[in-house]
Amino acid sequence: MAHRLLVRRMWTLSVKDIRCLSTSTAASSSFSTSLQSAKTRVSFLSPSRTLPHTLPLTSRREVSFNVQDNEDFTERVINSELPVLVDFHAQWCGPCKILGPRLEKAIAKQKGRVAMAKVDIDDHTDLAIEYGVSAVPTVIAMRGGDVVDHFVGIKDDDELDSFVSKVIGQ
Amino acid sequence: MAALCRGRHRWKRTHCLRVFTRNLTAKYDYDLVVIGGGSGGLACSKEAQLGQKVAVLDYVEPSAKTKWGLGGTCVNVGCIPKKLMHQAALLGTAVKDAKKYGWQISGTVCHDPTMAEAIQNHVRSLNWGHRVQLQDKVKYLNIKGSLLDEHTVKGLTKAGKETVLTAKNIVIATGGRPKYPTNIPGAMEHGITSDDIFWLKKSPGKVALECAGFLTGIGLDTTVMVRSIALRGFDQQMAGLVTDYMEAYGTKFAWKCVPKRVDKLSSGALQVTWTNTQTGAEQKDTYDSLLWAVRAPETKALGLDKLGIQLNKETGKLIVGADESTSVPNIYAFGDISEGRPELTPTAIKAGKLLARRLAGQSTELMDYDNVATTVFTPLEYGCVGLSEEEAEKRHGKDGIEIYHAFYKPLEFTVAERDASQCYIKQVVCERGGDQKILGLHFTGPNAGEVTQGFAMGFCGATYSHLLQTVGIHPTCAEEVVKVSITKRSGLDATVTGC
Repeated sequence: MAHRLLVRRMWTLSVKDIRCLSTSTAASSSFSTSLQSAKTRVSFLSPSRTLPHTLPLTSRREVSFNVQDNEDFTERVINSELPVLVDFHAQWCGPCKILGPRLEKAIAKQKGRVAMAKVDIDDHTDLAIEYGVSAVPTVIAMRGGDVVDHFVGIKDDDELDSFVSKVIGQ
Repeated sequence: MAALCRGRHRWKRTHCLRVFTRNLTAKYDYDLVVIGGGSGGLACSKEAQLGQKVAVLDYVEPSAKTKWGLGGTCVNVGCIPKKLMHQAALLGTAVKDAKKYGWQISGTVCHDPTMAEAIQNHVRSLNWGHRVQLQDKVKYLNIKGSLLDEHTVKGLTKAGKETVLTAKNIVIATGGRPKYPTNIPGAMEHGITSDDIFWLKKSPGKVALECAGFLTGIGLDTTVMVRSIALRGFDQQMAGLVTDYMEAYGTKFAWKCVPKRVDKLSSGALQVTWTNTQTGAEQKDTYDSLLWAVRAPETKALGLDKLGIQLNKETGKLIVGADESTSVPNIYAFGDISEGRPELTPTAIKAGKLLARRLAGQSTELMDYDNVATTVFTPLEYGCVGLSEEEAEKRHGKDGIEIYHAFYKPLEFTVAERDASQCYIKQVVCERGGDQKILGLHFTGPNAGEVTQGFAMGFCGATYSHLLQTVGIHPTCAEEVVKVSITKRSGLDATVTGC
């Protein structure tokens, strides 16, 4: 039980923290063994892989996802450790259907260093209005809960790659 | 902590602001609260916000089957989807004509339901557009408004949460909704209304004139059941031409029939029983869908009786003065909800803007409801501005008016071998001598809306001689308007030929 609890807490920390934790903590043998196993379990995880759904988690690691509601947005975008591109789109918007796949491609190239949150503005009108969206597609880049960049309309693959790189900070 | 800061702009701004204004000596939360976010309500609130604090309440009580976004009837279940569907039907006719013009079109051309989604997508983009336009200017609340007193509005969210707003002035612009006849058993459970027709995922089977027109146009077997006359309030000769064309086009009409009951058969089809008021006979037939095309003002949930606001007993609409005021000071009403007004979007928009300016003290201009041009988008379109022949006769006497008229054939119909017997122009002119001021202009033909619009401008003060002086554009249908020269009184054949 305690072992399982410990593992869960490990998972909510960032990978970086766990690496620090495993080297610096002096503990009982049982504790260190569990830490070891926790570390193994954590390193087994990579952000792009889906997690086993037997264990509940507080932060998920899917790279591209649809925002469900305001709480979901807070948790997975504002509180995300990764930079997140928020793609505001609509079913009736032709250019959005062109930009969407291009964004997915650009995100996938970064192998987990950036995530993408998709917001349908008809389902989440208040959220879109709050972020000042007027035309779609609008993409805003968020890091640490702050808006760091944005663009409106379509971009080609090269423009998207450089936009994403800038957001990650390369 | 960081998350909290980001969420700052998410706090209900109005909540803070409301508390703020209450603490100052301001008496009301808002200068103006508009109940109803349709053509009229949105125009009024956007005009008012220049200098005033305005809130607009919009809420759609779903009909039995459908609900929609901001923009009201016109955007969601009226003018916009209607015109697009009308266009779909026209294109169907154009495809048939195309073969006569030399286009090689193989096989039969049929219509599928992808149109519905394309139209709905456009409507959703308009919902969004309206929402954006309100942002930072007008407070938009998706709540159901009702009146508590002359300065207080109660709002109810979908979840049942209550809000109370106070306002210096209140405007009611809730419009109308289709009405299910409650006295006909089976009407509500088995029927749909125009609210639903634009949002159906699969096509209905059988269905009022514009709906019936485009449904026939996209290939559906449609019947219109008419209690007494079609297009009440419009010039009846013109209404007759419209329905004659529709009958020739394939729409069936059940004239002078009153529905009695609707039953669902085991096959899923609907059996409608009706009385033919001319013969007294009871008849029945089966249909796939039933559409009730009757409208009524949306007043029941407003709490009007509590305040003693006067309604017209017959229509249920609010009685208003020339300045849109109701029987209660500082409460106003306009648009489809008010008595004696045309049920049209442009008049609601203009009246709303003028009202907003008057309430802000910026102007005293009243809305002029005369000489409003309108068009019925039936398969053969009918555009008109001014008085009908009946109304002109009533006001000036049969001898006081001169009517110039002409049948014409649109050039495009010739090669397509289309029947043009209902393409007709009628000018109702006052004073057989003298200036011959034009009182009414009526036009049936393709693009009637486009044709009539220009002539509407000339209407304030236009005379027959003005028309005669105008050179026509050739070859168009519109030029026939300026060429009309035969009077009804002369009894001469009004079938004008060639150029």
